[in-house]
Amino acid sequence: MRMNPSVLVLGGLLIFAPVLFMHVILPWLTVGGEPPSEIHRARTTIEDEGRSVYVNNGCTFCHTQFIRNFDWGVGAQRVAHSGDYIAEQPHLLGTERTGPDLSQEGGEHPDDWHAAHFRNPRFVRPESIMPSWNFFSGAEMIALVAYMQSLGYKMADDRTARQKYWKDEAVAAFESGPQKNVEWLHGHVPEPWTKLPNPYMSSRPGLLRGHRIYQTQCIGCHGPIGDGMGPAQPFLYPPPLNFTLLKDRGITGGILYYQIMNGITGTAMPYFKKDLESEKIWDVGNYVAVTFIGRTDAHAEPRGIDASNEPVENAK
Amino acid sequence: MQLLKVETNGTAKLFLLGSALWFVLGTLEGLVCATHMVAPDLLGGISWLVFGRIRPMHTTTMIFGFVGSALLGCACYIMQEVLRTPLWSERLGKVSLWVWNLSIALGLITLDLGYSQGREYAEWIWPADIGILLAFALIFVNCLQTAINRREKIMYVSSWYIFAALIYTWLIYFFGNAVWNPATGAIFGMPDAILAWFYGHGIVGLFLTPLAVAIAYFVVPRVARAPLHSHTLSLIGFWTILIIYTHIGTHHLLQTPVPTWLKVLAVTGSIAMIIPVMTVLGNLWLTMRGRLGFFHQDIGGRFVMAGLLWYILTCLQGPIQALPVVQKVTHLNNWVIAHSHMGVFGFAGTIALGGLYYILPRITGKPIYSIRLADVQYWLLLLGMSGFFAVLTAGGLVQGNSWLNGETVYRTVPMVHVYFIVRAAVGLLFVGGALIGAYNIVRTVRGDQAPAEERMRLQVYGETP
Repeated sequence: MRMNPSVLVLGGLLIFAPVLFMHVILPWLTVGGEPPSEIHRARTTIEDEGRSVYVNNGCTFCHTQFIRNFDWGVGAQRVAHSGDYIAEQPHLLGTERTGPDLSQEGGEHPDDWHAAHFRNPRFVRPESIMPSWNFFSGAEMIALVAYMQSLGYKMADDRTARQKYWKDEAVAAFESGPQKNVEWLHGHVPEPWTKLPNPYMSSRPGLLRGHRIYQTQCIGCHGPIGDGMGPAQPFLYPPPLNFTLLKDRGITGGILYYQIMNGITGTAMPYFKKDLESEKIWDVGNYVAVTFIGRTDAHAEPRGIDASNEPVENAK
Repeated sequence: MQLLKVETNGTAKLFLLGSALWFVLGTLEGLVCATHMVAPDLLGGISWLVFGRIRPMHTTTMIFGFVGSALLGCACYIMQEVLRTPLWSERLGKVSLWVWNLSIALGLITLDLGYSQGREYAEWIWPADIGILLAFALIFVNCLQTAINRREKIMYVSSWYIFAALIYTWLIYFFGNAVWNPATGAIFGMPDAILAWFYGHGIVGLFLTPLAVAIAYFVVPRVARAPLHSHTLSLIGFWTILIIYTHIGTHHLLQTPVPTWLKVLAVTGSIAMIIPVMTVLGNLWLTMRGRLGFFHQDIGGRFVMAGLLWYILTCLQGPIQALPVVQKVTHLNNWVIAHSHMGVFGFAGTIALGGLYYILPRITGKPIYSIRLADVQYWLLLLGMSGFFAVLTAGGLVQGNSWLNGETVYRTVPMVHVYFIVRAAVGLLFVGGALIGAYNIVRTVRGDQAPAEERMRLQVYGETP
């Protein structure tokens, strides 16, 4: 085959044209006409403004916006459908998960958590490596948070509505004073948990593990001495709980476990059920009880058969 | 006008010089990114140094500024050599050079100020896109006229690849950036993701790859002092890369809701990439067989050789990681970052540097300022690339397997901390290599000679400077 410029140009175009048709135009024609999925809704103006802050500042280089059918993390309750993306221009699927997926971020946290988190992510997530975005103007910040709360469309709206409902309750409880606030907090833990002591013995190694978990998960809000004065505190309302208030107010290991596992929706307290396995939650709960509350019910009655790794002194 | 001065090979020379300077900027941007991932508060709160803005600047500086400029500079020179015809218009070449470099600068500055179109490697705003398209068009016209007026009847394989790269990059850049839509540079929904990765992979596969292969086809037979092994293999490799490489972009989207038929095409195409890659490499291998000694002696040849080795690794890894079962572990984490660095830097970048070191002395008519410095740069970049690949692949496997086992992303961040530290440290080798290279190349372009090497050359060869 003798090559010359016209063979190269015409041959190149001859190959390119069908490929472009097959790989760009055909999907555009077939997928492009799909109806919106059942959770889709149009974005508001401010949400769109927040989306352009997200695009312009390269958030998409660390955060994906699609959930795969084998994912476990945040948002994993909704595997991506192509109908979720019909209004995306440009697409923000992303290629790296240095940070968590955000396709269902809306309503995961209340607005005040986001305000603290964007100011400095380590205020609420001590081991995060996300940059600080404190150079954003107030308007940019508000728009970006609005966009965050829209991620997940109608599913996000349901979650943000729940956040708002419980935010009002939590604020009212906080403003009614420490005793009432603690009663309100404990009143929303199901009864079996309120009566449940920590089933495991309090031990030095366990407290050390709890200490480490406290430092990597809790310290940003509740502070190094558990008084709720961590660096995130100025941004959050109701403010993070001062653990020392809990003494002699009916606190149990079960309540601590339940609230760490489940979070307190409406406040900045997130759930930790995805980040921490069972033993870690008991350990950090006991660390809080021993160190900040000053009393623990670890290994108190009623309890069942001891786990096989428990020390045998004082054992069943 | 001084900026548009007409001189033989002036366009090629300035493209190469520009590449050396973009390389320094690109590696510094990479270092900023790596630093962010180790110590996020070190550069905290500085808008123009924030990771999200520097990261696209890093990728586009490397692809277009460093590798792209060097490849285009080499292409301008190779075209004239293989067609035995001077560039049709050096003035037009200089115009395209300035349009190219100013477009890159515009794209980078606006990214830094917070104006991005968000899609990977297509982040630049519309005016920069238009500039890039214009530059490609001007270079194409220049090469086409050169080819039409050529004195050598037979067009050598390098010139095929240069034409293919210029045509395909223009088309892929035009469609991929949706330039008919200036505000967003995108279309709607999942089709936009498909289009963006048609572009994203195309820019690596049909801009960097053909030009790098063109340099290899040019440098290898010359350094080996042997004719190219096979014309037939050249033809097979050339047409199959155009047919196959255009099909595979969707392998970036296998885990997203794109149509299954498209995923099947992409995976099949990715595996079929073995054909063009191995054809080209086989052809070059058989050309240089028994003649490796020549490559050790020639610094340009040595860079090209190293680049071809990275090409084998990249293109064996590529088809494997295009398999859905492999991607379950490797997708979305640093494994892919290791791969992309090996492709863009290890393969295309190293060959671009090889072309640069081979061609620049032939343009200036004098040896490189310092072979020793080029040698130091070679080893810094080779060690850097190897370390980078190892540490990011390992870190990526940690992330991928942890996620599969149900760990949250927040829990895997501290797991890869140590890998990020090593990555930043290895990044210093790249920065050092880029700085040494820039110094060496600037001195070479000025026509300087390192005094010690000049003395040695006089003693050994009796050459006069």
